[in-house]
Amino acid sequence: MLTVHFFDVPHEIYWGLLIALYFYYTGMSAGSFILTSLGTVFGIEKYKKVSKVGVIMAIVLLLFAPLHLLFDLSQPGRFINLFTHVHLTSAMSWGVYLLILYPVCLMIYAWFLFRQDFVKGLNQGGFKASLYRFLLFGKTDMSEASKENDKKQAKFFGTLGVPLALAVHGYTGFILGNVQARAIWHTPLMPIIFLMSAMVSGTGLFIIVVMLVEKFKFGRLNDDIKSLIADIANLMKWFIVVDGALMIIYFIVLWYGTETGYAAGYFLLHGEGWSFLGLENGLGMLVPFLILLSKKARHSLPAVVTASLLTIIGVLAMRINLVIGGQKLPLTGSKIIEYAASGRDIGIVIGIAVAAAVVLSFLYSVLPMNRSGAQEIKSTPTTKGVAQ
Amino acid sequence: MGKRYAMVIDLRKCVGCHACTVACKSENNVPLGVNRSWVEELETGKFPNVSRHRLPRLCNHCENPSCLNVCPVKATYQLEDGTVLVDYDRCIGCGYCIAACPYDARFINPERKTAEKCTYCHERVEVGLLPACVNTCIGGARFFGDLNDPNSEVSKLLATQAVTVSKPETNNRPQTYYIEADEKSLRPNLLKIVGGEN
Repeated sequence: MLTVHFFDVPHEIYWGLLIALYFYYTGMSAGSFILTSLGTVFGIEKYKKVSKVGVIMAIVLLLFAPLHLLFDLSQPGRFINLFTHVHLTSAMSWGVYLLILYPVCLMIYAWFLFRQDFVKGLNQGGFKASLYRFLLFGKTDMSEASKENDKKQAKFFGTLGVPLALAVHGYTGFILGNVQARAIWHTPLMPIIFLMSAMVSGTGLFIIVVMLVEKFKFGRLNDDIKSLIADIANLMKWFIVVDGALMIIYFIVLWYGTETGYAAGYFLLHGEGWSFLGLENGLGMLVPFLILLSKKARHSLPAVVTASLLTIIGVLAMRINLVIGGQKLPLTGSKIIEYAASGRDIGIVIGIAVAAAVVLSFLYSVLPMNRSGAQEIKSTPTTKGVAQ
Repeated sequence: MGKRYAMVIDLRKCVGCHACTVACKSENNVPLGVNRSWVEELETGKFPNVSRHRLPRLCNHCENPSCLNVCPVKATYQLEDGTVLVDYDRCIGCGYCIAACPYDARFINPERKTAEKCTYCHERVEVGLLPACVNTCIGGARFFGDLNDPNSEVSKLLATQAVTVSKPETNNRPQTYYIEADEKSLRPNLLKIVGGEN
């Protein structure tokens, strides 16, 4: 039946780039933390070498993630209301507490991982020593009992961190999944799809960060790290398999769903085709998967870096396709709702990304990243003479 | 029993004059570009077999409002009489309610910077007046009243007429009832919109 809609009022997409990026950051934080917990919590010895790198990354990403939300509020000054008014039926309200508990738990966990290195670093003098002395809060005991306690506490808080990491990213899946008005969002798979794609992108970024840290702190990539990266790349391959399977299941059920669901699936294939099929699932999942299938590629750093970068881009596309794409289908009226990120939003996204990178680099440069099998190269302080 | 407000819109009487849209804007000081109440119009068929349909839209003041459930700070609340309101002093403007409402009824007020929607003209109803859109409707298509009073106009219409609501499947249990609404106006034809159908 020919139907012409000739009068309607315009509607806007309110959840844009900033919300998608928030989901992206928390995801990579959870992903990288769970990866590092393999060593300290699940006792797989070789992963202990990168625990410290991962936990710092998880903390910094998580501290910067909520800034996106803050800038997205129309009344940012009232964010305090989130703490003073709890609403148990709102997934967003759950998140407020997870976003506090999770980084606090990670910081305590990190402190126990770093404590002994802080004590060892005390005698080098300068800024680092003062920083370590401050961070130690007087706990300089290096007895065997105390070392054993560090290990025990790190395991305890690390173990607590695993469900918190799952929850802090899983809840974001509920934020979308609970909205029955929007077919693309409303699926019980949403929390677990978010978690698995977070494992993929978290691993991707983690590999790149580990390489950079090793290169700058120890001068070169040792063979033990190279073989560990091949192992992590292998893990990433399996994360991609699970994530891909979930996406396929999600899509098939969407396709065979209600009229709205089918239309949403059609929209993902056609309207959003290049971004959904091309960027998110082709370039972001299929290509890295094919690269990582080969054992030779997993042992080749350029191949692993390429695969990692592709997953990072692919999962970003996935977050944008889901969050923004989910709102493009109109609920009333007769037109697709178009979205264009505002200059302000793009500026904020870039600003937060740069700030997170700066803070991350600063922490890696001042914190003792020593691990079994590698010692930091002693750089001669060049700025000291200038300052005097 | 307390009151339960609802609206019935008899589309046989709607002439598509948009006076309700204007009255709402004027009564509630709604800025340009956003609407608490509006009318969709569409035409179906091919000459000479054609018809024209209108669908006035506003907040449905649902029994189980998804906007209320998702609000992280309880800024959206529901009165005993069913009216769903927003506490403008508490709302943080996160937009979750806007994303969750199946009816596009909400928006961020560009001046006040908080979520906002139709209030059934609460300040008018409190003093015994009708909502502005009902008051102004020239065709007499809009009816507002108490569902718990069997003698109210809305109760009588619901008892004697075939009515329909928009998107009943969402479990929001909307309380705006339409008489003779065309199915094509109650929900967007998504498959056509995404290009899957001519």
